[in-house]
Amino acid sequence: MIANILDGIIFGIQLGLWAAGLTLIYGLGGVLNLAHGQIAVISAMVLAFAMDAGLPALPASGLALLVGGLVGLFLDLTILRPVYRLQGEARVLLSLLLTLGFAFIVDGFLNWRYPGRALSLFIGGGAIDILGVPMRRGSLLASAITLVAFAALFSFFRFTTLGRAVRSVIEDEEGARLVGIDPARIMRLILVLSGVLAALVAVTRSMVVSVDVQAGFGITVLALIVTVVGGLGSVSGALLAGIILGIVNVIAADVIGTFMSLVVLLLAAAVTILIRPAGLLGVEE
Amino acid sequence: MLEITGLSAGYEGNDVIQDASFRVDSGEAVMIIGSNGAGKTTLFRSVVGLLAPSLGAVRYEGTDITGVPAQRIVRRGISFVPAERRLFPRMTVRENLALGAYPGRPDPKTMELVMDLFPRLAERQRQRAGTMSGGEQQMLAVGRALMADPSLIVLDEPTTGLAPKLAADAYEALGALRDRGLTVLVAEQQVPLAMALCDRGYVLDNGRISTQGTSAELANDPDVRRAYLGIT
Ligand SMILES: Nc1ncnc2c1ncn2[C@@H]1O[C@H](COP(=O)(O)OP(=O)(O)OP(=O)(O)O)[C@@H](O)[C@H]1O
Ligand SMILES: [Mg+2]
Repeated sequence: MIANILDGIIFGIQLGLWAAGLTLIYGLGGVLNLAHGQIAVISAMVLAFAMDAGLPALPASGLALLVGGLVGLFLDLTILRPVYRLQGEARVLLSLLLTLGFAFIVDGFLNWRYPGRALSLFIGGGAIDILGVPMRRGSLLASAITLVAFAALFSFFRFTTLGRAVRSVIEDEEGARLVGIDPARIMRLILVLSGVLAALVAVTRSMVVSVDVQAGFGITVLALIVTVVGGLGSVSGALLAGIILGIVNVIAADVIGTFMSLVVLLLAAAVTILIRPAGLLGVEE
Repeated sequence: MLEITGLSAGYEGNDVIQDASFRVDSGEAVMIIGSNGAGKTTLFRSVVGLLAPSLGAVRYEGTDITGVPAQRIVRRGISFVPAERRLFPRMTVRENLALGAYPGRPDPKTMELVMDLFPRLAERQRQRAGTMSGGEQQMLAVGRALMADPSLIVLDEPTTGLAPKLAADAYEALGALRDRGLTVLVAEQQVPLAMALCDRGYVLDNGRISTQGTSAELANDPDVRRAYLGIT
């Protein structure tokens, strides 16, 4: 049981990271990025090829993060342009369609060019005992990196002027404009940031299991579930929801079977929405 | 300082404001009075860059700022306080004020001025803006606008939702600001309050400016007396 919960927490911290980028973009501008997982996969492939070419893991990971950020910037500068011109529901729908199209193109291309290609960052060394449970070093390192990333995100939003500016656009876009904040520039910044976070998903995930060219939609779907449960626009909600769903997932897989765990997660999300429509830490409109 | 000429503005091709012209000189306090739906908010939104005018020009200190978006207009020295306040509800009073100085760091002198003007804000720096009373939120909205160190402050019905005593307090604060040399442009339905503060005013009637004059002239205008002062 303790082993299950620990596994769940470790997976949950990951899930939180998967959702963080997605929830920020949605909270900020009502834009749903269904290519989130594909950004992670692109970054994973860059990392795999960079290491094949002889680059050590650390600089190669840095390169992957850079590419993730650039893909985010690319989306902002291209297919999201028409999206920004719309408001409300139309904006959500168009962003959903266009990013889904981009995701299919990326998926199709990668599967055709690099079928079966996968990234795994092998972290050597024996298991480490935590509460009497032996844990793999790769999982622990991935969790530690993710938690550091969350700490950095929280400090950014709490203590920096730019971070507060991002929150202000989420809370009241017109109010933000009135104090001199350009929402379009904040949106660009967050797309870059969410691209970097997606790349970090690839890096940390590949320390635990291998990330293959087809992993994109799986990541996006789980990230969406976590985003909805956590509350749209709330990074702390993403982390909390991630950990809860991570535990639910591991226990469901253990009790019912892996094939059912996604269904259980969807059920948990549905129940959350029925009880708290805005999500765990979301704000009712 | 601010000069509006032949301004028309509205929504989806329907001009609510038609051919409005008015001016505000440096150091003045000027009011726009008008009843519900007259177009005060529409007029102000098109002056401060939240709404693109369909016709006409907005000039500020000699430069044409027509169609410049709100986020850039505030950097030029015009701060707008909307009737809905548009605070950041989940942020603290202090964070709201600090953002008023965006992109810079809040200037301690300006912060002190705001705290002196509104001691309530000083007491409640750590409270979340969304949990404050209407009167406190109005103070915070004005305080946040002041943090940008504007030369002109534009307020849309600053007494919205305030009890008479609080409305009077709000105007007292505006008087203090005006005495410090800040130029004030205010839209108001509670005309006596605005008249006591302002040197001059314009009457907005169905999207058109129908009358203008000094506060004394307007106070003696039979139409204004009937429509806005409840005197027959
Ligand atoms: N977003 C909008 N879309 C369409 N029409 C609008 C919109 N906002 C205002 N109007 C219309 O424009 C006209 C003027 O409204 P406006 O809000 O400018 O008046 P106001 O003088 O500020 O009124 P109040 O004193 O009630 O605030 C009204 O007829 C209103 O219905
Ligand atoms: Mg109004």
